Amino acid sequence: MGRIVARVLGAVFVLWAVVTLAFFGAYAIPGDPAEAVVGGAGSRSTPEQLAQISAQYGFDRPLWVQYLDTLGDLLHGDLGTSYSLKTPVATLIGQTVGGTLVLAAASLAVAWAVAIIVALGSTRDSRLGTALGSLLEVTSVAVPHFWLGSVLILLFSVGLGWLPPISTPGPSGLVLPVLSLALPLAGFLGQVMRESFIAALDAPFTLSARARGETETRVRLVHALRHAALPAISLSGWAFGSLISGAVVVETLFSRPGLGRTLLAGVLAGDIPVIVGVVLVIAAVYVLVTFATEAADRIADPRLKAAARPTEAAAW
Amino acid sequence: MRRTLPSLSVALLSTVLLAACGGGGGEDTANLTPQQGGTLVYATGDDEPACLDPQTRGNVPQALLGSQFLESLFYQDEKGEIQPWLASAWKVSEDGKAWTVDVRQDVKFSDGTPLNAEAVKVNIDRVLNPDTQSTTGRLALSKVDKVEVTGEYTAVIHLLQPDGALLESLSQVWLPIESPTALKRSNEENCLSPVGTGPFKIESWTKQDNVTLARNDSYSTPPPGASHTGPAYLDKIVWRFVPDGTTRFAALQSGQVNVVDVLEPQNAVAAKNIPTLGTLIASRPGEPVEIKLNTGRAPFDDAKVREAFFSAVDVAGALKSVYLGTVEQAKSPLSSATRYRADTVKQAYDPDAANQLLDEAGWTAKDADGIRSKDGKALTVVLPYAATIPLEPGFYEQVQATAKKVGFDVKLQPLETAKWWVANNDWEYDALPIYYTKNSADVLRITSLSSANTATTVGGYHSGNTALKSPELDALLEKAGESTDDTERADLYKQAQELLSNGYYVLPVYDQQTRLGYETKVKGLRLLPSLSMPTFYDAWIND
Repeated sequence: MGRIVARVLGAVFVLWAVVTLAFFGAYAIPGDPAEAVVGGAGSRSTPEQLAQISAQYGFDRPLWVQYLDTLGDLLHGDLGTSYSLKTPVATLIGQTVGGTLVLAAASLAVAWAVAIIVALGSTRDSRLGTALGSLLEVTSVAVPHFWLGSVLILLFSVGLGWLPPISTPGPSGLVLPVLSLALPLAGFLGQVMRESFIAALDAPFTLSARARGETETRVRLVHALRHAALPAISLSGWAFGSLISGAVVVETLFSRPGLGRTLLAGVLAGDIPVIVGVVLVIAAVYVLVTFATEAADRIADPRLKAAARPTEAAAW
Repeated sequence: MRRTLPSLSVALLSTVLLAACGGGGGEDTANLTPQQGGTLVYATGDDEPACLDPQTRGNVPQALLGSQFLESLFYQDEKGEIQPWLASAWKVSEDGKAWTVDVRQDVKFSDGTPLNAEAVKVNIDRVLNPDTQSTTGRLALSKVDKVEVTGEYTAVIHLLQPDGALLESLSQVWLPIESPTALKRSNEENCLSPVGTGPFKIESWTKQDNVTLARNDSYSTPPPGASHTGPAYLDKIVWRFVPDGTTRFAALQSGQVNVVDVLEPQNAVAAKNIPTLGTLIASRPGEPVEIKLNTGRAPFDDAKVREAFFSAVDVAGALKSVYLGTVEQAKSPLSSATRYRADTVKQAYDPDAANQLLDEAGWTAKDADGIRSKDGKALTVVLPYAATIPLEPGFYEQVQATAKKVGFDVKLQPLETAKWWVANNDWEYDALPIYYTKNSADVLRITSLSSANTATTVGGYHSGNTALKSPELDALLEKAGESTDDTERADLYKQAQELLSNGYYVLPVYDQQTRLGYETKVKGLRLLPSLSMPTFYDAWIND
């Protein structure tokens, strides 16, 4: 019980820290917030207009007053209103968060599937197979999302004409963005999995399973995979976070509505409520996913249930 | 934003792939009967507007979209001459300070509200009201005092001082006539669905994705130059926001969209070799993309050094290599699409002349890298740039490389838009790339009057960038701005351009452009000459 309270307090601390960093970070971007209200590239404002807006929005107050104001609003569940779009930030996030979560979740699932297939399939006694698998993983990790996405577009949209380059709402519009995000991550997960997989195949329990006459497939899928997956499961929380940051690039490339594009537009426009709101939501998702991966860890690794490790409390 | 994710390798790869496709070009010239119906998909590389009403703010993305559903009192033709549009007749008073404008009597906005003189007053008053947060429109109407309704269909625009550019300003889509009924809503609501008299009306706006426009079936105000009357042919236009240039062109090639804008140079070249694609590239009026020199500090406070810089940079060569021959070097402080433009800038790459000028100006010492100095100060040129300005990083790099050969140390500063504005506002530059879109030579009054340099704001915005304070130029521009005589205006603006060119204050690069790529099955695509914005009124799809 105390453990759960500590977790929740830790989560609140993380969210507060993130909001604070985002707020002051956003203010550190040079530029007059009043320009964000009228601004945007190509718009030119007169002095009176900017002064009037500053007074109206309270930009002329000390920064710490504005910070406490923002914090107070957030505590009341009010994410504020976008300077540039004049729309409540909660509405903006509500419209786009689904698309990003679907993209990230699908990418994580595909990354896992690819990682398992490559790691399991190529970790054989054959050195060539292992080497090829490793090479694939290392290469895909090194590929930037943007480059991979562009190549996929040239290949599958322009060349073969199978899939749309601009993401559409249906499943066909999701394929290329998901592949762009999932393949580098799959390489990463695969590398992690392969190492523990090799260790598990050499472990005594594998030997005894083989001695019991179990098939190689069963040994791999039931016994070794469970061990091999553990570090990868722990990393999935982090991976989900990285997918959301990768979404900024992929959503822009495939012109797909989402949180990443909302954040990018917010940063470019100097729209502080949008920046703070989106960063807060991303942090909240990240905290939730970390809770979830911990729970998944416990299911996959029964040893964790027996011995609670208090040192882990502040691990994230 | 559209250039935040550059990838040279991909650009090259796509060029190679496309070049491999081969094929011959060729425009379709057959006389076909327009087909009714269908949906046209347009992919824009410009930013998604934060507000669809160009009376609020006033930028190019709003103008592109607004041209489909909003119309102005006047229409400016290819020659820059004013023609009637929503206005039917007009005349100016003896003293030039009162314009009487009659509006058409048979026009309804797409929400059914009738057009009348009161609507003109409501719209102009609204632009002038600071709460509307109009920028471009309000600056253009800075000489307007008030609007008086003198009859059901007659309004008088009273001016503080004569304004020869008034009708030009009122033919910009940033000053449209919107439905007074719709304007009774809050600004926020009006931003989502402004209502005009145009051939289309806004049906829906899905943020970050598209604005869908539907045909206005009661349309009755085709502009001069249109090729038919009555409602538009297309049922709908889906206006998609696609920030990445590679994706945009891939979508055009694969038929996912019918028309794209901000067509990148390598894609414009590629499109020439694809028989099913066409390009429509046209200059926008106003000041071209140009590099303004800050005369407020060393080294460009010395005219000889400015002249040397003009001779030291190979503008033509850089344009050719970066834009692959798709753009021409600008030769004037005004774009080629601007009335009264005169070719007054003589810029040619001449390192010998540059060297001689710098020697004469006393920048004789040289360090190991060949960078000149004078009294221990290096010949440094700070040049901040941002993706907002349509010049590729490769262009700046070539400017830097050629200028270095004669001893300039050009310090390139790639900045985010917000930071770039700060550098601009704080005069933290020696050379600044910039442009200003406006359908009148009067743009020079906005950017080049002495007072334009001293305006201070909360953020420090000033519309002048050269720090030039010339009473002679001020007199020319004020006089030209007040004149309504064509010959006199042409002469005064020519003198103003000569003054700007002879002082080496502004180095024009190339005209800011509308760059469209389209499927050749799209017929009847046309640009409105005032700002070179596309219109889809005559457009139809030949299936």
